[in-house]
Formats: sequence, structure tokens, C-alpha cells
Amino acid sequence: MVQRLIALLRRPFSRRGSRKPFWERPVPEEDPIVNSSLAVPMAVSSLLLMVTLIWAFYDEGWGLRPWRAHQDEFVERYSTFLRGLKPRQASQEEEIKASEGYQHLLRQQQEAEADVTPRLAEITAEEGAVDARLGAIEKTFATARSEIQATIYLIETTSGSARKGYEEDREELEQRRYEIVLPGEDAPQELSYVELEDMFNSLKEQQGKVRARKAAVLQRPSRVRREMQTYVANRMEGLTAGQVQGLINSLDDFEYGIHQIHNGDMGLVDRCETCHLGVTAPVTIRAADMGGMELFASHPRKELLDVHDTEVYGCSPCHNGNGIGTVSTDTGHGRYKHWLWPLYPPENMEAGCLRCHGDAARLDLAPVLSAGREQFRWRGCWGCHPRQGFDQERLALLVNQKDVATLEGEKEAVRLLIERTVARADEAETNEEANRLYAEADSLTLRVADLDTRAERERQRGRQLLEEVKTPGPNLKEVRVKLRRDWLPGWIENPHTFRPTTKMPRFRLEEDQAQAISAFIWQSGVNGDLEEQAQGDPEQGKVLFETRGCMSCHAIGEGDEAVGGTFAANLSRVGDKVNYDYLVRWINNPRKRTLPYCPTLKRDITPEDYAAAGKPFVFDLQNNECPICGGTLQVQNPTVMPNLRLSMEESRDIATYLKSRAPGAEYAAAAWLEDSELAPKGRAMVRHFGCAGCHEIATLEEEGKIGTDLTEEGSKPLERLDFALLTQTAKREGWYNHKGFFERKLENPAVYDEGKIKEPLERLRMPDFGLDTEEITQLTTYLLGSVTPEDRVPERYHYRPRDQRSHIQEGWDIILKYNCMGCHQVAPGQQPLVKSLPLYQQEDWREQLPPPLVGEGARVDPNWLTRFLKNPALDEDRPHRNGVRPYLQIRMPTFTLSDGEVEKLVRFFGALAQQPLPYLPKKLEPLSQRELTMARQLFTHPAAPCLRCHATGDLQHDRNATAPSFELVSERLQPDWTRRWMVHPEIIQPGTSMPSGLFQREENRWIFALADLPIMKDYEKDHADLVLRYMFQFTRQEQRRLRGR
Amino acid sequence: MDWYQLWEIVSLPDNIPIVAMIVLVPFFTWYAFRQAFATDRLIVQLEADPKAARGHYRKIEPFRKGWQQKLHVWPYLLRVELLATVIVTVILMVWSITLNAPLEAPANPNLTMNPSKAPWYFLGLQEMLVYFDPWIAGVLMPTLIIIGLMAIPYIDKNPLGNGYYTFRQRKFAILAFCFGFLVLWSVMIVIGTFIRGPGWMWFWPGATWDHHRLVFETNRDLHELLGITQQPFVAIVGAVAIGLYLAVFGVLLHKLILSTEFNRKIYARMTLIQYILLQSLLLIMVALPVKIILRLVFRIKNVWVTPWFNV
Repeated sequence: MVQRLIALLRRPFSRRGSRKPFWERPVPEEDPIVNSSLAVPMAVSSLLLMVTLIWAFYDEGWGLRPWRAHQDEFVERYSTFLRGLKPRQASQEEEIKASEGYQHLLRQQQEAEADVTPRLAEITAEEGAVDARLGAIEKTFATARSEIQATIYLIETTSGSARKGYEEDREELEQRRYEIVLPGEDAPQELSYVELEDMFNSLKEQQGKVRARKAAVLQRPSRVRREMQTYVANRMEGLTAGQVQGLINSLDDFEYGIHQIHNGDMGLVDRCETCHLGVTAPVTIRAADMGGMELFASHPRKELLDVHDTEVYGCSPCHNGNGIGTVSTDTGHGRYKHWLWPLYPPENMEAGCLRCHGDAARLDLAPVLSAGREQFRWRGCWGCHPRQGFDQERLALLVNQKDVATLEGEKEAVRLLIERTVARADEAETNEEANRLYAEADSLTLRVADLDTRAERERQRGRQLLEEVKTPGPNLKEVRVKLRRDWLPGWIENPHTFRPTTKMPRFRLEEDQAQAISAFIWQSGVNGDLEEQAQGDPEQGKVLFETRGCMSCHAIGEGDEAVGGTFAANLSRVGDKVNYDYLVRWINNPRKRTLPYCPTLKRDITPEDYAAAGKPFVFDLQNNECPICGGTLQVQNPTVMPNLRLSMEESRDIATYLKSRAPGAEYAAAAWLEDSELAPKGRAMVRHFGCAGCHEIATLEEEGKIGTDLTEEGSKPLERLDFALLTQTAKREGWYNHKGFFERKLENPAVYDEGKIKEPLERLRMPDFGLDTEEITQLTTYLLGSVTPEDRVPERYHYRPRDQRSHIQEGWDIILKYNCMGCHQVAPGQQPLVKSLPLYQQEDWREQLPPPLVGEGARVDPNWLTRFLKNPALDEDRPHRNGVRPYLQIRMPTFTLSDGEVEKLVRFFGALAQQPLPYLPKKLEPLSQRELTMARQLFTHPAAPCLRCHATGDLQHDRNATAPSFELVSERLQPDWTRRWMVHPEIIQPGTSMPSGLFQREENRWIFALADLPIMKDYEKDHADLVLRYMFQFTRQEQRRLRGR
Repeated sequence: MDWYQLWEIVSLPDNIPIVAMIVLVPFFTWYAFRQAFATDRLIVQLEADPKAARGHYRKIEPFRKGWQQKLHVWPYLLRVELLATVIVTVILMVWSITLNAPLEAPANPNLTMNPSKAPWYFLGLQEMLVYFDPWIAGVLMPTLIIIGLMAIPYIDKNPLGNGYYTFRQRKFAILAFCFGFLVLWSVMIVIGTFIRGPGWMWFWPGATWDHHRLVFETNRDLHELLGITQQPFVAIVGAVAIGLYLAVFGVLLHKLILSTEFNRKIYARMTLIQYILLQSLLLIMVALPVKIILRLVFRIKNVWVTPWFNV
């Protein structure tokens, strides 16, 4: 057989190659089955089997465990990095140790140790002696004790004769003598068990006493040593050299294998750290430190890990991906066909936050996501798309209206029942029967009263909600009074030509559609008389526009030259579209409507209606009862633009200025707007395109939303997203996923109509917002994060604070809704837009900036803040000024917030400053007569600068004041904050013009620093406190007194 | 020609057995027939030479003097089987190392995958659902296939062809099998894999599986073609049509069975029950291609519509 094999191998290939195929070969003369050998095929296939087996082992050990190589590499690179880090940290540590503070501590420590050395030696010797004696008897005693206790247990658990035997054993054991040799004694002693026990106990007691003495002696040195450690740790950036060495040592025992986080409660198994080995490392590792390996870098935003313990939350609940997968990068990251939660791309990483923080209006640590949500809110995406957490006011209002109707119905039913009961009582045959029925009617009357109360409460809430409802777009009922007629069609066709930055999107309208819509909008507008206004002074108007705060929200100037906020419309060309008279009215009070709207009757109430009811045609927040049905009227324009409390003259100036800015364009006459035949079609189109989602439009005030619900859009099955004819392209180009769908849709909302043959009304309706790439990423992140709440993380892990933190969440909604951050700094690190305006770059104007509101909750009394927010002028008689800072040109406007909103804002500021609830005003000690005299002197002393800036309520004096009035102190401020402010204004508000260093520290009190007052000489108490107490009882009389001086 | 789509179907781990089947089934069919024809030639020789036939156990053609007349199982059969075992083990191991189990997303009751396909070995049955009522295609037919396969030894009256390849001696059985397995079963699996795309629509190989594709395809029942709408008549017309099919094809099959001298001999040995069983099974098998043609060519959905079942 071997020979045959050799022969086979020897046969040249050429001959083998020329052989015929097996089915054409001649039949051999010998039996091929008997004579042929299977050795070669057998050998080859056995070899293959071996190779396969080895392959299988390799695959099992390494092929399916690519992380093994990573771990090897990590250990190598990490230890190199740590070794490089150690000397740096060590030298830093050396530096700190060389510092005066540390040396001081070191001296203290040496001193303390030297102090205790002799005493310590004495105690240690004593301790040694006791320990030695204890050691000598401990073993004998322990043995004896266990034997006796075991016997006792036997006695306890047996009975009869066996028990007798054990009792004898016990007696015998107690009689036994134990031989012990105490140290320093030659002769052994013989002791009974009881004696032994006594000796042991007394020695133990001695030992305890000695140890306590030792600890007392060592107390001071060890305290100083701890202080030294803390001193170093607090000043070190990163770890100390010792800690780094600890890390290097720990690498010797590096655990090769799968590193897993398991949270059974969440069903979480995350093995990400098997490869991403440096993520939670105690040192900051950059990719460059590890030879450019991004894989081994530590988490780039450690502040996130500080609040999300990785041992609890793992990685995948935030980042997505397949936490269990370790076979390859793609499996671990979930980037394969059937995994529902692929890793978020880096630019959308923050989408994961929304899984648990679904209700948050703003997340400080997730700027992109927060911006996405703000885009969604500000652009009014929720006008068409239902989304949990948006349009809550309108939804609540609908529920409220139903509730009121139900209660009213119930009341009516009870009233009828009363009438019937009384009627039955009147006809009753017996007196008892009649009395019983009357009593019943009486009790029913009580129910009516109860229902009345409830209905009234609901109505009150309804009135608030009516004030809170704001629409993204303006009220279109005003078009006839507000706009130039011929301007309208061009705007509807493409708003971006007139105003490129407008948030009104472009609808892809056919010409006839645009015409019909324009005509309907024009004809549905209400008619009203506008007061005729004289022209103002444009120069003055420009100054007012720039200084009153308009530009915190509005920009002016076209294209790159635009200056001002983007929150509201760019007003460069507003003069081309509006009537001057209307503009004046709007600037004076943007909430003023031409006609009030009755939500019950679902129509606007005209002067004729008022006349018919015999009432004057007056409607505002105080007179908001419907003359026909008695329900509450919508008396405001649903705009967030506040009332700046400008005088009529100022309003005219600004309006004239805006008019003068407009280029004065002419528009083609569009008489057909009055064609009533177009209106029905226009109304259908307006409904079709969902215009009423953002605008108030006559007859369509209660239209539903036309868009798809986006609450859980991010976890919608991919198959439900209609890529239409682009499906195959998307699959091939690799964007057949949620991100790809959202991005392309946002970039070009008609993209999925591409190539489709559709009737105009069947086409995709989403309009074009002209979003830039950054905004698309923000919105995509927000949509990707909008997932089913229970998806992957159980609800109990979601962020639902029940404490003050929930007030912060509620408050942000309102802060963003009214753009408070246009003028004020609300959160640390955030800059108000107004600060970036050119005007406020000038030195003189910097003091004219609105106050920052960081820490506002600690600064002011919440009750006062409530009053202030309701009316920032603080004085009904003098509305055209700021209540607190009359010296500022910029004006804190009146937002006409509802009571609920005011409450939320007050709670928000309180929560941000971590103020305890409920608010308890602090009582200050009243001033004694002597203290009063001192305080007055101090206050009015020429060296004290208080009165140089602060107003006092004295008109003469206040003309030059540049700081809030002392008159407000007691009701406005909180004493604790005020004290801190007087002492350290620079720390509370860097850059403030309030001078620091008014007081200086002396021992445990602050004393007035700027002058030495003789009267203060033997005053022992805190000077700052004195001034504080004086300020908090500062009254009008006192002020008059001061003036008298 | 959409090569990407074709590659996507061919490379799907689920479809590996079917791709292999396309190659292996024709090969082994050809190989078996080659062997059978060789034996047939030997049979002709031996029939002419009864003396040689007497001691001739191995059916090998052309027969050589030096070849043994008998071979033992050990080692001649078992060693080949061992070799085959090793090779198959190698193939299975390589397969399991290189291709993972094709797992999919967690089941979502609100979302049916499209196309929604059975495991490859059931794709033929799934394809049958297009042509028949689910009860017939999903329950009746599979049961009959199993029962039919079990019944073969009891209705097979042909004693020849045991232990060697032959076509000559078992023409009828082999042709019936080839029709039932190769033409019906295998081809339907291939159709189910390669041809049926989203919406279970017919996509020629190389066409893009477009989820948005629309086709105009209206199926009618036979009675609608004839303009009959009233129920008892509808059922009666269907019953008549089915009866006609049974009669016509029964006669044709009978003719086919009796077409050769040899078959007539076998037929003579059969009892009535055996013959009826054979006829029933064959008629049902033939019904499948008939229905496929009716459905695909004439767009007829049901032939026999009754309130209880449709055929």
C-alpha cells in the first residue's frame, strides 16, 4: 500500500492532468473496490479534520474573543502611561509638600510626635507586659472554656441517666487544675477554671485601659497626619504618586477575561469594559496617552459618570448597543441588521439621555439634546405633531372645559331633582312624608353648593390656562387690521423671500392653493377700528429700540448684518407689511386683541354683542366675562411677546423707526383676496396643511393636530418609516436607519416624495424650515432619543424627582417659553444674549445690563418675587418704569403670567438656590437705641459709599441712583444673602459695581473697614450685622430723618 | 439585473442549504441514473445469458473476470462510510465556525416581517399555500405525503430492483418519485427561496425586491368565470369540475399504468384496494401541478367553493 502511495505521488502531474474524466475511463481489469486503497483520501480528510479541530479550538479561544488581544495591549500601554505619569504626579506632590502650608503642618506633626514620645514609650512597655501575661494564659483558658461549654450544651439537650453522666463530667472539669507559667515567674502555678477565668478577665480589662490611654496620647499626631493627607489630596490635580503606584501594582493582578456589569433589576448585562478598559479608570486617559488608541481612553465626560454610577446603570442604557456582544466591534455596538438599539453615533450620543430624562426641558450636561428640544418647541413642531410634554396648556384647557361642562350638567340635574322633590313634598299626604321630602331637598341644595364650588375652582383654573396658552405663530384673525393686503399672497407662497430667518416654514403650495389660502385667511380676519396715530420721532425710536430691550429677542438688519436676538422675528422689513396704527398698538401692548374670543360659543364677540347685552365694549384680564354666555373670554393675543409698559409716545417713536427701516416695497394688487368664492377651498387647504396648529384662525380654533405622534418616534420599527422609492438606495448607501430617515426628512421634507406620482393633496405636507446642519443634528438627536419609556430601562430608574428638583424642571419650561435668558443669566455659565449686543460693549453701558438671576432664590423673599413678577413696575400708578431698578434703560416687561406660572417661577428660583420649603422669613433682633444711633452714623458717614449709588425713595437723591432702593430691602431681600452680599459682593456676582472690602475680618467678626468711628469703639458685635439689621427696619420715616440730617 | 439583490439572497445564511441543493440534487440525480443505466445494460446481458446470471450478485457493468462476485460489508462498505463521516464532519464544523445561527430581532406582535418565510425545508409547503386552501395545503397534503410514503411498501407489487440501481425494472416508481420530489418538492423550495419576495410576489431572479411594488393580479373562482353566483349551484359546478378532473385523469393514469407489458403484469398482481390507493395518491399528486397551472396561467383561485371548504 505504501508503495502504491509512493507511486501515486511520483506520478507526474502532466499525466494526471491528461487523464479522462472518470466516467469515460476504461473499466479496470482488477476489482477497484477490493484492490484500490482509500488511504490517500482517508489521510487527507483526517488531516482536514485535524485542521478543522484546531481551527475550532482557536476560534473558541481567540477568534471569538478578540478582546484578549485588546487586554494584553491595554495592560502594556496603561502601565507605560502610569509609569510616565508617576514622576509628574510625584513632582507635583513634592511641590505641594514644599509649600508653606504643608511645612507648617509637618512641623506641627513633628512637634506633636516629639511631645508624646516619652509618654508613649511608657505606655507601650506597659501594654507589652499585659499582652505577654494574657498570651501566657490565653490558650489554656480558651481550651478549658470550650470543653466546659460543650459539656454544658450536652447537659442542656439531654435528660435521664445520660444527663447525669454529663453533669459528672462537668464537675470533674471544674475541679481540674490547670498549670500555667506567667512570664517573669519561674514556678508554674496551678489554677482552677474559675480562678483562670478571673485572671483572664482582669487582664483583659487592663489591656483595654492601656489601649485607651495610648489612643488618647496619639490623638493629636494622628489628627495632624490626616490633615496633611487632606492638604495634599485637596491640592493635587489627579492622583498622588502613591496612588499611581497602587494602580501600577494592581496591573500585576489584572484580571484577564470578560469584565461585566450586571444589574438584574434592569435586566442589564454590559460587557463593554471588556474592551473599553480605561473608561472608568481613576485617572484621565486621553487617546494620545495610549498611543492614539481611542478604545482605551477614559470617559470623555467624567462629570456624567459622577451622577450615573456605572455599576448601576452600565453603558448601554445611555449609549445603546448590544452590551452582551463581545465577538466583534459590530456585535458589541449593535451595528447589525436585527439589533433594535444600535450604538448612537457620536454626534447624537445625547439621545440616550432622553430615555430617563424624558420630561426635562433642559439638561445642563446634554447641550445638543436640550437644543434639539428647544428647536422642537420654538419652531412649533408640536403645532402639527403631538408629542408628550408639549402643548400641555391647550390640552389641559380642553379637559378643563369638559370638566366644567360635566359639573354644570350635574348641577342642573340636581336642581331639577330638588324641584321635583319639593313638588312631591307639596303634594304629600302626611306631614311626616312632607317633612322627609323637604329635608331631602335641603340636603340636595347642599350638593348644589358643593358642585358650584368645584365648578368655580375649575373655571378659575380654566381662566389661568387661557392666559397660559401661547401659539408659535401670530393670531391670524388680526390680518385685516394688521397687514397690508397685497403683501399676504407673497408671504404665504414663500415666507423665506420676505424674511429669510423667519420660523414660519415654507409650504410647497401650488399657485391655486396659495391663492385660496391667502383669500381665506384675509376674509376670515376680523374687522375693527384702530385708533389713528400721529407720527413719532424715528431717531428717538431707534434709541428706544436699542435700549429698552427689544433686541434681546428681535434682530434688525438683513443677512450677516443682523444684530439682536433670534428668538423672535427679524424686524428689518416689518414696516413693509404692517399698518402703522396697528404697529403702535402692538408695541404698546402686544396682547391686545381686536375682538375677544369666547371658547364656549366658539366665536369672536363683537361690539354689537356687547351692545345687545347692554354692556360697554371693554375687555381685558379684569373684564373677561362673555356678555352672552357668562363664560371666560380669551382677551389676549396668544403671543409670548410681553408688554414693555412703554408710553404711547415711546410706542409711536419705535413704530416710526421700524417703518422708516423698511425699504418700502410695492406688491402687486391682489383684489382677488376679497373673492368669497375662494374662501371655502382656502379653508379646506388651511385645514389640510394644519395652519391652525400654530396660528389662531377664525372657525378653526379647536383644530386637531395633523402630524404623526412623535413621542416614541425613535423606537418606531424601521419598517414603519416610509422611505418610499428611496428604500433600496438607502439600504445600499447605508442610511437605512432612523438617523438617516430623520436627517434627510428634516433637510428636505419632500424627499420621500421623490419619483412618486401623486396628486397635490396626497403629497407630504411637512413644510420646509430651512434648517442648517447643526439644527438638523440637534433635532435628530431629540427624535432618536424619543423612545418608548419602558424600552430597555424600567420606569423606576427614570428621573422623576419628587423634591425641589422637579420645580427646576417645571421652571425651565417657562424660562424657555418667555425667553428670560435673552436678558438674564439664569444658570451659571450661560450668557444672556443682551450682553453680546454692540451697545453693551461700551464701558458706560455695561452697568445698564439687566441683573443676573443666579442665586435669585436666595436673594429675594419669594412672596415679594411673586408680587414683582405679577407687576414689575411694583407701583400701579407709575407703570412706565422698572420697579426695582428705575435707573436702567432696559425694561423688565410685564409678561401677564398666570398665577400658576408665577408660582412655578418662584419655586424654580428657590429650588435652583436650594432654598428650604416652606419659606420662613428670618427674624432679626431689633436695634437698641444705641445701636440705632451707631448704625445711622455708620450709614451716613462720608466714607460709607451706600448712598452714593443706592436709591432711598427720595426723588431728589434717586435721580442719580444706580442701585436698588433701600426702601425695598425689608420686603425684597433675605437677610442671610444681604449680609453675604455686603461682605463679599465680588464672590456672589463677579464684575458687580458694588464695592468689595467694605468690611474687614477681625477675630470672629466683621468690622467697618473704611473709617474709624469713635462711637463704634467699644462695640463688641459684628458691624455688618448692625448695618443689616438697620437696613431691614429702614422705613419712610427713617429716610425722612436721614434727609433731615 | 440587480446583482446586489441576488447576492443578498444567495448569501443569506438561511439559504445556504438551498444553494447547495441546487447543485447537489441534479448531480446526485445524474449520478444515480448513470449507475442505473449501467446496471440496466448488465441486466440485458444477463437476461441473454442465464448461466452467468445465476451466480451474479454484484450488479456491475461491464462485468470483468477479475472482479469478485461478492463483497463483504466490512471493510469494503464501512470504510467508505467512515470516510464519508469524516468529510461530512469537516463540512459541518467549517460551516458552524464560519456562519452563525441566523437569529433575528425579538418578536414584535405588531410587526410582521415581509417576506415572512418558513425554514427552508418547509418553503415548498409554504409555496403550496398560494395554490390551495390552508387546510388542504397545510394539513391535508402533508399528511397524505407522509401516509403515502408509509403506504409504498404495501402497494408496491414489483419485486425487482432491491439493492441495486436500476431504471428498467422500476420505471414507474422512479418516474413517480422524480415527479413528486424533484419537480414538485424541490422546485417549489427553490421558488419559495429565490422567486418569492415581499408580499409573496413573484420576482424573477435579478429583479429588485421592492416593497412598494404593485402588480395587477386578480384571481377569480371558477364559478365566477362561468357567471354562477347562487350558492347551491356554485358548489355543484365545483363538484362537477372536480369529478371531471378525477374521471379524466383517472383514466389517463390508468392508461399510463397499463402502457407497458411489464406494468400490466404488476397490475395483474394488485388487489382492488391497492390499486384504488395508488390511484388516489397519484391523482392528488397530479392535482398540484394542475392547480399551479390554473392559478398562474388562468388566474383561477378556487375550483370548488362550498360554505365549508374551498378546493
